[in-house]
Amino acid sequence: MLFFPLLFAAIHAGGDRELAERLKRRDPQAMADLYDRYGRLMYVLIFRIVKNGAAAEDLVQETFLRVWNRVQGFDHEKGALGPWVLTVARNRAIDYLRSVSGRMAQNAYELEASDHPSLFANLETELLNSDRARRLRAAFEKLTPNQKLVIELAYYEGLSQSEMAERMKQPLGTIKTWVRSALKALREDLGEAIAV
Amino acid sequence: MTCEELKDEYELYALGLSDDVERAELERHLQSGCPNCSAGVKRAFALNAWMMQLPADVAMPRNLRKRVLGSVGIETKSWGSIFAWAAVVAGLLATVFWLGVQDRQRAAGLAEARQQLQNSQAELSQVRQALAMLNEPETRQVVFGAGKPQPPRGRVFVNAKRGVLLFASNLPQPPSGKTYELWVIPKSGAPAPAGLFQSDAAGNALYLSRAPVDLQQTGAVAVTLEPAAGSPGPTSTPVIVAPVAE
Repeated sequence: MLFFPLLFAAIHAGGDRELAERLKRRDPQAMADLYDRYGRLMYVLIFRIVKNGAAAEDLVQETFLRVWNRVQGFDHEKGALGPWVLTVARNRAIDYLRSVSGRMAQNAYELEASDHPSLFANLETELLNSDRARRLRAAFEKLTPNQKLVIELAYYEGLSQSEMAERMKQPLGTIKTWVRSALKALREDLGEAIAV
Repeated sequence: MTCEELKDEYELYALGLSDDVERAELERHLQSGCPNCSAGVKRAFALNAWMMQLPADVAMPRNLRKRVLGSVGIETKSWGSIFAWAAVVAGLLATVFWLGVQDRQRAAGLAEARQQLQNSQAELSQVRQALAMLNEPETRQVVFGAGKPQPPRGRVFVNAKRGVLLFASNLPQPPSGKTYELWVIPKSGAPAPAGLFQSDAAGNALYLSRAPVDLQQTGAVAVTLEPAAGSPGPTSTPVIVAPVAE
């Protein structure tokens, strides 16, 4: 379960801004703190996407390098470090999946653009909160099997709706309905938890 | 497209998964500063961040932390290496301590040998002076204790220039805090102190007092037991009295 690392990391959750500031100052200890805070979440997410331990390790390393090299563009006064770091991790893993399956060209620009640090400005989402994690899991469990599948294909395999339709051999309209209804259900269940 | 039509696209857009038409339309809204779409995309980033925590936990590779930090040039110290360094430091400290003890023992042995050498040289010097004194014809010899039932016995040699030489045997072992003191006793007047000495374990003593002696005025040479620091005048009954007057 993720609860222990969440609980452990929650102790430090308030320090993301200070951590980001230290990362920008190239404080080596900040990198160690970043790993201790988000390394586990990052590895679990990447492993879920690539389903390969060795590849997941490589991608975790790449993700930290990317964060280290791009942190100067992150506005620590406004930005949410955790969501940004996890988005970078997800995108590295999706990128890897695409390169393996020959889908590399598709959505490459969008993926690159979607983890730009500036997009995480004014996003106050506190990731390391075990209560919210439980609510999210409960909300996900309420979805229908098809809704769960399209959500997983989107988040953990990086498939567009057209690609899902092809993969699931379903009309695009049906896929869009499942995606819309699933996201709507999640939004409604989580309510103010994801308010920004 | 309206904001209402685009609201189901926010999460996919934030994931980089929008289809071309919807993406272009949503970007047009965002570039125009549409408050609904801006807020909606922001919420989508938040939801996506939450969704990324959904996967079940898995075991972490043991060396990943070291590898990640190493890739950005940060060295980590494992407990193993810390213990190894501690062992090395402890070993070095033990070696330094052992060398220190050895050094102190060597220094003590050296000092003892040096002291023994100094003692031997002093004894040799005394013997040479005694021989020189004995070789001079004007040295006068006095035997004491001969024929008496109790020791000590011995000889005293007196030389006006070279002083007084005492050979004694069967001297009783001085009590703790006491030592022997030699006296030159004039024919008239108070005894003059002529030096402190100890007997060896067998009760033998050889002592040379190099202060010149006025043979015309000297009546006797005596030895008493005195406190370890000596006395300005005899405080006990003499154990040796050797008359030297002509």
